[in-house]
Amino acid sequence: MTHQTSATFATAKKNRTPLAEIDVRDAGVAKKLGRVLPMPADRTARVSSFNSAL
Amino acid sequence: MTGPLVPFREIVLKVHSRCDLACDHCYIYEHADQSWRTRPKAISDEAISWTALRLAEHAKAHALPSVSVILHGGEPLLAGPERLRRVCEALTGALDGVAELDLRIHTNGLQLSPRYLDLFAEFGVRVGISLDGDKAANDRHRRFADGRSSHPQVLRAVGLLRQERYRPLDLGLLCTIDVANDPVAVYDALAALDPPRIDFLLPHATWDDPPPRPDGSATAYADWLLTVFDRWDAGGRPMPVRLFESVLSTLSGGPSLTESLGLAPTDLVVVETDGALEQVDSLKSAYDGAAATGFDVFSHSFDEVAAHPGVRTRQLGLAGVSETCQRCPVVRSCGGGLYTHRYRSGPATAAARAPGGFDNTSVYCADLEALIRGIESRTAAGLVPPAVADTGELLVAQHDLTRSLLAELHAELAGRGGDAWQEAWELAGTVERAAHNTADAEPTASPGHTASTEPTTGTEPTTGTENTASPGHTDGLDEVLAHPYTRTWLIDSVAALRAERPDALATALRFPAYVAAAVIRGGLDLPVRTGYRDGGLHLPTLGTVRLGGPGEHGEAEVRVAGKGFVVRAATAEPLLVRPDEATPYWRPVRRLARDGAPGFALDDLDPYRDCFGVPVHPGLGHDEAADWSDRLAAAWRLLGERVPEQTAEAAATLSTLTPLVTTGPPAAHRRHGYAHGHGYGALGVPLHGGAEELAPALLRAVRAARLRALTEVTDLYALDGEWHRPAPWQEEPVPLSALLSGAYERVGLAAYDPRHRDQARRALDTLEGAAELTVGGKSLLTTLREEADRG
Repeated sequence: MTHQTSATFATAKKNRTPLAEIDVRDAGVAKKLGRVLPMPADRTARVSSFNSAL
Repeated sequence: MTGPLVPFREIVLKVHSRCDLACDHCYIYEHADQSWRTRPKAISDEAISWTALRLAEHAKAHALPSVSVILHGGEPLLAGPERLRRVCEALTGALDGVAELDLRIHTNGLQLSPRYLDLFAEFGVRVGISLDGDKAANDRHRRFADGRSSHPQVLRAVGLLRQERYRPLDLGLLCTIDVANDPVAVYDALAALDPPRIDFLLPHATWDDPPPRPDGSATAYADWLLTVFDRWDAGGRPMPVRLFESVLSTLSGGPSLTESLGLAPTDLVVVETDGALEQVDSLKSAYDGAAATGFDVFSHSFDEVAAHPGVRTRQLGLAGVSETCQRCPVVRSCGGGLYTHRYRSGPATAAARAPGGFDNTSVYCADLEALIRGIESRTAAGLVPPAVADTGELLVAQHDLTRSLLAELHAELAGRGGDAWQEAWELAGTVERAAHNTADAEPTASPGHTASTEPTTGTEPTTGTENTASPGHTDGLDEVLAHPYTRTWLIDSVAALRAERPDALATALRFPAYVAAAVIRGGLDLPVRTGYRDGGLHLPTLGTVRLGGPGEHGEAEVRVAGKGFVVRAATAEPLLVRPDEATPYWRPVRRLARDGAPGFALDDLDPYRDCFGVPVHPGLGHDEAADWSDRLAAAWRLLGERVPEQTAEAAATLSTLTPLVTTGPPAAHRRHGYAHGHGYGALGVPLHGGAEELAPALLRAVRAARLRALTEVTDLYALDGEWHRPAPWQEEPVPLSALLSGAYERVGLAAYDPRHRDQARRALDTLEGAAELTVGGKSLLTTLREEADRG
């Protein structure tokens, strides 16, 4: 059995986003890419952290 | 204090210094600092202009993509709509074309009206409201000076903000904890208002003025919060709760989401109504003047404040917390707690048992530890990435990463690839759709990625077109993207474009060759135009076709034909290639196949295979390949006998072996080739050595490849390098990544050779309780323990 014919792969493949529709601006995708590529500052999620406000 | 200056990205702008409530827990009026008494009530136009100017100057100097400005007080709505309009206009105008402006206001809500909200809608000012829970809870502190309840007015404001037209402005609710309140009633009251976000604040306190603990419990606040957590979790977590989300984030290796937790450097500055620049204003709870810097917007830049020692101290990460905190396993999540909560008066002498100043644990230390451990114990099982324990999930995540990288390369090119890229990109989509449609119709039979376990003899070419006849063609694109060195090319291409390397476009434009290989593997009748260079066209996973001499570049068309494919170049006769037949113009990627050994691809052709940190062999002759295959097969049999589980796992996950021209470990050699590594499935294996030498080398490479693959798709640790720990195999202490890597390798090797057992166990012992480990890393550590115990 190759990994591409495994049940796990088949399920993931069925549910995955088509290549052309992968949104690299999405925070989740940026996080994945950030593990293997340095990501530009404007692609890293930043939150407002001030304690006394949201 | 060393390290680069951390620019401010968050400005708290005090637009009014008075309040229309008289909350008895307010840090502005009721705590140590009383500077509000001498401040102007409302911010002046001059201070507004200078603030906008300073912020724009700062954002420009540091090339900040965005900045947040929080309009705060006192009660900021008391500044009135006209003054707030001037604030919004000044900031928006100054930041226009410089940085994105994230404008927020935090209010008690009493004055909120459509007049304000229309203004906020015009400038995109988002609104957070303070509410301490149900009426009984809110009334405990949030009252008017005459004692009246503010609860009805706050609910009215929340209702106004929930109206459809204002809902996009709604930031949510901020609740200060009082453990005398019923946590479930408080949470339920807040949740019933359907806010987009909630946060809970620990009431400001110091070691001089500790928080009330009515029942004497050292963890009263953690207990209260964990009750809320359970209620929130049981209800399906209907909205984010910042405090909880922050702990969940750091447990998984992500950033903290609030300044009250985590080790992130502060990037916050406060502008008072008189233009004074101050440190974070919760410091007002510590002592009178604690937040002061002596700077103001009229005479000083934000950079000057950023260099202030009081600010720098809160940018030191681990070095900025007490020694006790530095040794604590949860410090990555709590960060020593809010800076203010560490304060104790008295001399800051190292000799003192509890020194004055901020070099202490938090007055909420026991609560924070109990909260973090409580959340971890409740959620760890669900937070562990599936890839840590499931090889199938690891392979899926690896494949997903490579697809995301291809999408990233497409985005990075942003049209610069011209027609050649666009054509290939669209073809890739066609190949993907064709495979998807087939997969829907019938099960896919893939010939490619993973090694065949069929016993064969000799070193054979990889099969590329056995299953090319439609219907039932394979997903050629998946197979080519699963090829480990495709990842190497993708990362190099993105890096080249970002670095504006002269060869960047040419590097990216290897893509059509990958698509051509996918089309061939998929057996699709689609012509693919692709460039070739130096007389050669390498079709990843298949082989290299020779179209000319060195230095010759050109374009060729590749098209499936019968059981092979045809390559047409302008300068040569069409070449018919059968992937499994070597010819003078076709060098196939061979399959390393011998009885008892999996049929891994022997890839000594791929131009991106040089990614192991040591030199790769330029290309094996027939006899050399056959000899290597024999020795590897013998090594594989040894592994199968001694470590059958690991061998079977490797057979199911690896696809490609590349010969290295060295016998030593990579660390002994100068870094060589592409530094970006490769996708999961490839091993660099020394060419030389007998089976007894190759077997442990293979096992070592297998272990290293798997751990590396895991770290590429999961966060096993964070803040690597902040601590150094002893490693049993060397004198110098090492960062956690090196310790984990060494332990991972030795646990695997110990099953083959017990001499590694002692070092493996000692390394695992050292890893226990390491603050860097995430829930995923801890899960992996448990698995390693079990593996080590099995022996």
